[in-house]
Amino acid sequence: MTVIAFRQKVPPDGSWRRGEITAIVQSLTPTLGSAAASGWDLGATEAGDPQFYLLGPPPHEECILCISRLGGIYVLEDAAGQVLFEHNSLAVLAEQARSILQKKKAQIVARVALIWCALRETFEEKLEAVAGEGEELLAHVVPQLAALA
Amino acid sequence: MERRIQFARTAPAAKELRRQAGAWLKELRARAGMSQIQLAERLNLKYYTFVSQVENGFGRVPTDSMEAWARALGMEPSAFARRLLSFYDPELYRLLFGVKE
Repeated sequence: MTVIAFRQKVPPDGSWRRGEITAIVQSLTPTLGSAAASGWDLGATEAGDPQFYLLGPPPHEECILCISRLGGIYVLEDAAGQVLFEHNSLAVLAEQARSILQKKKAQIVARVALIWCALRETFEEKLEAVAGEGEELLAHVVPQLAALA
Repeated sequence: MERRIQFARTAPAAKELRRQAGAWLKELRARAGMSQIQLAERLNLKYYTFVSQVENGFGRVPTDSMEAWARALGMEPSAFARRLLSFYDPELYRLLFGVKE
């Protein structure tokens, strides 16, 4: 006798169970309030499937990651609608979301460091040029002042 | 644990405009007589959840798929893109077209 394992059906009532929200938020807590994510919000599809929106940094606070529950599976999508991951375990999916966010955070830090280095180099170059001009000016003016004296 | 982290928002209008864009897209879809699932099928999306994300005002229609969205919703792509730009980037829209919608 073959036993077919059916997925547990969850009625599409547009709401998350408290435990589900807790699991998602706890998993994403290290990234919330950082440069990568500023907060979260909830919504639902037309058919009543619940959605969790992870919001990006202000001022736009656009959805950067979206977790939806469709029947018995959880779907993780990015801001362009690309499916990044899908699984029937919310814990596994939330872990995946955290890992994606941590990568994003590392990319932001790397970009900021790169900008800072570029700015510093530009500033130093300009400073050297100004200092050089000053020395040149001094070399011209000092003999003239000496002649006057 | 219904805790939502709130930060100072320098441009609250952006959120509201995105919400308005979502409502407009929903209206277009309803006029075309399609469900979110049917629209997602036309857009070759695996799930229809992204349509919901955009219509709820949390996401945007990506520039590279604006034409597909326009055609699926029965609109001329440039008019569709222009209208979306007025929601997503009103300042750029003003500079390009000289008016505010």
